[in-house]
Amino acid sequence: MGAGATELNPKSRAAAARSRAAGKWRLAWRNRDYYMLLIPGLLFLLLFKYTPLYGVLIAFQDFNIFDGIRGSEWVGLEQFHKLVQSEEFGQVFMNTLLISVYKIVLLFPVPIIIALVLNEVRLMFFKRTIQTIIYLPHFLSWVIISGLFVTILSTSGGLVNNIIQWFGGEPVSFFVSNQYFRSLVVFTAGWKEVGWNAIVFIAAIAGIDQEQYEAASIDGAGRIRRMLHISLPGILPTVVLMFILRLGSVLDAGTEQILTMYNPVVYETADVIGTFVYRIGLGKMDYSFSTAVGLFNSVVGFILIVSGNYLSRKLLKRGIW
Amino acid sequence: MTKRTKGDLLLDTGVYLFLIALGLMMLLPLASVFSKSVSEEWAITSGKVGILPVGFQLDTLMQVISSSLFIRAFCISVGVTAIGTLISILMTALTAYPLSKRKLPGISFIMVLFIFTMLFSGGLIPNYLLMRQLHLINNLWVLILPGMISVFNMLVIKSYYESLPEALEESARIDGAKTYTILFRIILPLSMPVIATIALFYAVGYWNDYFGPMIYINETALKTLQLYLQDVVMDANSANLTNKSVDDLMNMSPEGIRAATVVASTVPILLVYPFMQKYFIKGVLIGSVKG
Repeated sequence: MGAGATELNPKSRAAAARSRAAGKWRLAWRNRDYYMLLIPGLLFLLLFKYTPLYGVLIAFQDFNIFDGIRGSEWVGLEQFHKLVQSEEFGQVFMNTLLISVYKIVLLFPVPIIIALVLNEVRLMFFKRTIQTIIYLPHFLSWVIISGLFVTILSTSGGLVNNIIQWFGGEPVSFFVSNQYFRSLVVFTAGWKEVGWNAIVFIAAIAGIDQEQYEAASIDGAGRIRRMLHISLPGILPTVVLMFILRLGSVLDAGTEQILTMYNPVVYETADVIGTFVYRIGLGKMDYSFSTAVGLFNSVVGFILIVSGNYLSRKLLKRGIW
Repeated sequence: MTKRTKGDLLLDTGVYLFLIALGLMMLLPLASVFSKSVSEEWAITSGKVGILPVGFQLDTLMQVISSSLFIRAFCISVGVTAIGTLISILMTALTAYPLSKRKLPGISFIMVLFIFTMLFSGGLIPNYLLMRQLHLINNLWVLILPGMISVFNMLVIKSYYESLPEALEESARIDGAKTYTILFRIILPLSMPVIATIALFYAVGYWNDYFGPMIYINETALKTLQLYLQDVVMDANSANLTNKSVDDLMNMSPEGIRAATVVASTVPILLVYPFMQKYFIKGVLIGSVKG
């Protein structure tokens, strides 16, 4: 901007805005190569991500697959009334919250502890071996993990039931027990991800200034005190951020996991929003109601994650976007 | 170094015990299933197999991997993974490039369009109905096309591009290089570490996908390995799924067959895992939340 810019009268200011806009177009045109590269990605976005958003309209209809969205009858919020009044949905919602809260309370601290403990290991070979082992389950599919646990929990010669019987207990059919199924879901989720989730915290510890440890050491702080007073506070921002992010996905209790593990016997305790949407929509073909449940899920999830990000930006000056 | 106090010794003992217990917990299920897949039949049926194999035989494993259903499912999964990973990484790396030019007009708006899809989706049924309209039900492309770009992965690659020194591109441009030349000759080769990492993540994602095939594929001939495996794992009569005459399987328990199928499907992941390890930690760290 030259000195002349301040003396512009309204008319020439409009002209300047116009020429700025023209300048933008020129800049875009000069760089058209870049925009060409975006075309495939944008087509993908339009077709596979934004077109389904139009399909959400059937949540406000009594959708009939032969009439399509244009031909189906509009029913306003009827599906949502049905949702609020449905006892089954109430149960499903409770299951979702319970499983999610168990997962957060029991599993969220574990990776932090793993990272703190790994930081105390001086034998590099041991450290690396343990890391290799605990990251591995993350790469196994839920179907494989179900298969593993069906095998070791089997009532006919499974490892766990053999141990239970050895101690004189009765064998337990974990996969068809409403009493144990949720614990099974939480445990297997932990088995798969606690090691992997520790990576972020391990990196955060590695980022702590080594001088702090040396200074504390000179002041006579032992290793436990250094762990609690330097490592832990050092990774606290990361912990808070990960926690906020985790809360944002509280309505996802692990749909794919539960789909591979559950069966009608445990619907009572294990049916969650994701599996319910699937059963109602594709199993019973109640498209509109299922879409309404899915929309409810999406909207709540959206609010949670956006406010989580806002909170994180406020508290920590960093967020996911 | 200060000499080790009693407290340190206690801490060390605790640390090593904790980590060994953790490691064993991860390994035991794997060891137990492997043992069942290679143990003698009588030992499995009488519940004698714990962590270590009782006897040794490879018949069950051979039966499982020579079953035509297994082979077909395995080949389908290999094909979908290979083609899917190729398309995904290409689309992701190319789309990320213009998005890394934040000063260009309109780019930040297009970023918002991409990020929004991470936060809000139409849900299962609208997606299903769209695939139905596109005639993608029972078509293997349905396992690739709707998820070909993961916005999260794209953001990782984009931030890697942004971390490359700008001078590289400028000097190439002064030498007369065009945008695409710069992208393919300079940017992509320099970004190989992150591209390899993301390609691995895509490959694992395609290989392990269960939800997609379960929803969109119901023709037996098109079942992926995960779908086939789920049938075997959850079906009590898994013996009849191996497509062998009953005589062949008389001496094989469903338990043994299930274990062998799980092992046969896990081995590919175990084989590439050591190679992956080099890359994935780096990838996670680039991708982890930034300021």
